[in-house]
Amino acid sequence: MSVARAVVNRVLTYVVIGVGTAFFALPLLWLLSAPFDATPTYGVRPPSRVTLANFGEIGRNPYAVSSLVNSVLLALGTMIVVVVAAALAAYALSRVHVPGRDALLYALLLLSSVITGTAAMVPIFLLIFQLNLIDSRAGVVLVLSGGLLPAAIFLLKDFIDTIPRSYEESARVFGASPLRILRDIVVPVARPGMATIAVWTIVQVWGSFLTPFILLRDPGKQPAAVLVRTFYTEGGSPNLALISTFSLLYSIPVVLMYLFAWSRYGFRFHGGIKS
Amino acid sequence: MPPAEVTAAEPAAAVLTGPSPTADVVGLGRWRALGFVAPALALIGVFLVFPALWTLYIGATNYRLTGVAARSPEIIGLDNYRRALTDPTFYRSMRLTLVFVLGSAVLGQNVLGFALAYALRSARRAVRRTMEALVLLGWILPSSVVAFLWIAMLDRDEGTVNVLLRQTPGVAWLIAYPMTCIIVFNIWRGTAFSMMLYSAALSSVPPSHLETARLAGSSTAQMLRDVVLPHIRRYALTNTLLITLWTFNDFTPFLLTAGGPNGRSEIVAAYIYNTAIIGGDMGYSGAISLLVLLINLLLALVYLRVARAGKGRTA
Amino acid sequence: MAAVTLRALTKEFPGGVRALDALDLSIPDGEFFALLGPSGCGKTTLLRTVAGLESPTSGEVRIGERVVTALPPGARDVAMVFQDYALFPHMTVQDNIAYPLKIRRQPRPERVGHATEVGGSLGLAGLMGRRPAELSGGQQQRVALARAVAVHPSVFLFDEPLSNLDARLRLEARTFLKRLQRDLAVTTVFVTHDQAEALALADRIAVMEAGRIRQIGTPRDVFGRPANTFVANFIGSTPMNLVAGVVGDGAVSLGGGSLTLPAGASGLAAGEQVIVGVRPEYISVSAAPVDGALTGEVSIIEHLGAASLVTVEVDGALIGATVPEDDEPAPGSTVWLAPNPGRVLIYRESDGALIS
Repeated sequence: MSVARAVVNRVLTYVVIGVGTAFFALPLLWLLSAPFDATPTYGVRPPSRVTLANFGEIGRNPYAVSSLVNSVLLALGTMIVVVVAAALAAYALSRVHVPGRDALLYALLLLSSVITGTAAMVPIFLLIFQLNLIDSRAGVVLVLSGGLLPAAIFLLKDFIDTIPRSYEESARVFGASPLRILRDIVVPVARPGMATIAVWTIVQVWGSFLTPFILLRDPGKQPAAVLVRTFYTEGGSPNLALISTFSLLYSIPVVLMYLFAWSRYGFRFHGGIKS
Repeated sequence: MPPAEVTAAEPAAAVLTGPSPTADVVGLGRWRALGFVAPALALIGVFLVFPALWTLYIGATNYRLTGVAARSPEIIGLDNYRRALTDPTFYRSMRLTLVFVLGSAVLGQNVLGFALAYALRSARRAVRRTMEALVLLGWILPSSVVAFLWIAMLDRDEGTVNVLLRQTPGVAWLIAYPMTCIIVFNIWRGTAFSMMLYSAALSSVPPSHLETARLAGSSTAQMLRDVVLPHIRRYALTNTLLITLWTFNDFTPFLLTAGGPNGRSEIVAAYIYNTAIIGGDMGYSGAISLLVLLINLLLALVYLRVARAGKGRTA
Repeated sequence: MAAVTLRALTKEFPGGVRALDALDLSIPDGEFFALLGPSGCGKTTLLRTVAGLESPTSGEVRIGERVVTALPPGARDVAMVFQDYALFPHMTVQDNIAYPLKIRRQPRPERVGHATEVGGSLGLAGLMGRRPAELSGGQQQRVALARAVAVHPSVFLFDEPLSNLDARLRLEARTFLKRLQRDLAVTTVFVTHDQAEALALADRIAVMEAGRIRQIGTPRDVFGRPANTFVANFIGSTPMNLVAGVVGDGAVSLGGGSLTLPAGASGLAAGEQVIVGVRPEYISVSAAPVDGALTGEVSIIEHLGAASLVTVEVDGALIGATVPEDDEPAPGSTVWLAPNPGRVLIYRESDGALIS
């Protein structure tokens, strides 16, 4: 390649990287500047007066803190349901020839991509309505679990397949009962896989908007994802101080979880389920 | 969703010597095993499968949230579907969704993801890491937060976009060009996946092929066309199918425009929401939901077909 | 301490594959018994059936006086060491060894003490606090053994106990294993595909093929008088020479020469086709003509260390003979091959069975 071409390539590469960096960095700047600005606007600018007082807004709003608690409750609740149900199912599917197993797994894979929040919005709403679970966080946990389980089972089964069966056989020859083997051997060895599923579930639920949006009415039960859209001042305009600080706080846990998962397990980018 | 590629460490001679792949090594037994699977299946059955099937019924009724049709809905057969076929708002929604998917996924995320992956191939580690972190943040941050970031960016009076264009106050982007806004918004949020995927795909192109092309005097464009693209064609195809499926179902643009102003950005997710929850017309939106399900099914089947064809036997 | 007895043991897998075909086997108490054969012969299936991890389609398994065929693995009083050792990765060496005792509900101080004792006797003192991943291959194997020993079973079952070790380590471990079994005097059944290992370790060997036992005998029996051509081929680091021959008058002619017919084969009719078997180790090579020997040209010489394997082309057939390294003939030279008369074996051509 001639020198001129090489230079053009170089320049193009720098341009792409430069534009890309700007494109992806600019919107983030607001999140870093507005919370610390005494009079925040939609603009990004060095704060005229740097302050931490905006964070106090969070306490003044009656539902802000509780919504963060709700997000935690939903995330942890769904995480427990998903991990337990998926682990049990994945283990059984991995080790026992349940009739129709392969068809089942194939179907699960299909289901998790086809039945999305958008497509199932209407029947889910009606179903929860009929079950009298509207405005119930438990209902939200159940719905979210149902949506996340197929992928969780698929991933976890793949993982359990790699655990050598000789561990379990060895324990069995020594006289351990199946449940004992599960508790002493399988669960400890499967911990990394289960931890990955747990983190993945928490992250999915933390940011989940649509399901809690349509199923929860009471602002005291709504998670942060939904509540953040209700922060208005008495004058009817958006309370930017509250919105920006709250968003920042709300974002930190999930960023930390990703960092944690990245450093511990390498970045297994499954693409997940965008909901 | 692409299954995790984990290869089991079964020794090759495990046909008659070791336990078969489905061996019940702890003696769980069929019944207990079914019991283990039951909780998950129950949840999936009730909260995933049943709603999907119920849509068939709902779409054939005139169910509403209020009024007579709420208490005693009647079966009206295919009337909802006939109505959709003649309803201009439905067509508009479909058209807008098509534009949205083509613009932000098929073109936007795909091209940008590839361009970034390609440009970063030879970048210094620090540059690459920074770029990846920034792009990833778009994916990681909760959608409600990202919506506000973009509302701020696009604000008429002080938004960064208008500041850079040196027009304050300038265009009220969300009002004037809602589709453009949600397309850019979705590109920002979703490029991470394509970038990572193309990054992996590009690193699987054998360097010797690239070097052969370069020695033969190819320009970069020719190398891309003749060496790189053929190698990553399957990745590109599966990536496109996946992000098409996700984008088609994406509800989050609602956070930016709520389908407005006046339905000018009412993609199908917003359309269903507005018709069902705001408008209260469950039957009609149920019919639309069924159509969405069917389209999803089609896309997913095509994806699985392509994915399986390449890998041969999967787990 | 118990004998292991198998009667008419059959195992058929779905699809009609017969992994075990009506086997009868009797292993007396305290014996070190090898199941030897190529992959797919059923040896591991047999071991697993004794352990209870596979259930037979028909037949009976006895351990000691008890019929254990229907008993689950945990109730048979056996201990099994797997090929990959199956050391629980999240437990320390001590907890691994003590685990079977934990299942039997031994109180903690007792089982820790016991585990330490057994671990010490196998050279694991000082490693008790480590995780399996921190141990070498040889150490891991000894932990697996310790875990089996700690439980004082009636029978030890070893599935390819040495195949995961490096070649050098394997020989050391072999000696270690033989001493251990002798000291403990527990009936031991082990599976291997390595005939040298079986010959070195076992009191008796069962050579298996396609679900059937082709011969049971001591290493000497199996090496010196293989019951059929399959066993003859399988046993021995250097393959036995098996050459087609024709029975004549008190002799069998092969390779352009003839050898005296061994006493046990005197009943054969003249003209009958047979297979003559004699090990390279039992053939002497001479540069000078010898009566009653075969003659041919030296084709290839392979160095085996202190000996060499000389392949001689005898009238179209290739016959190997081992010679001490100092007596190597020159390649291409003519030599005379004189087998040790007591070591010549005659096999029936039709089914490969031993005649003499």
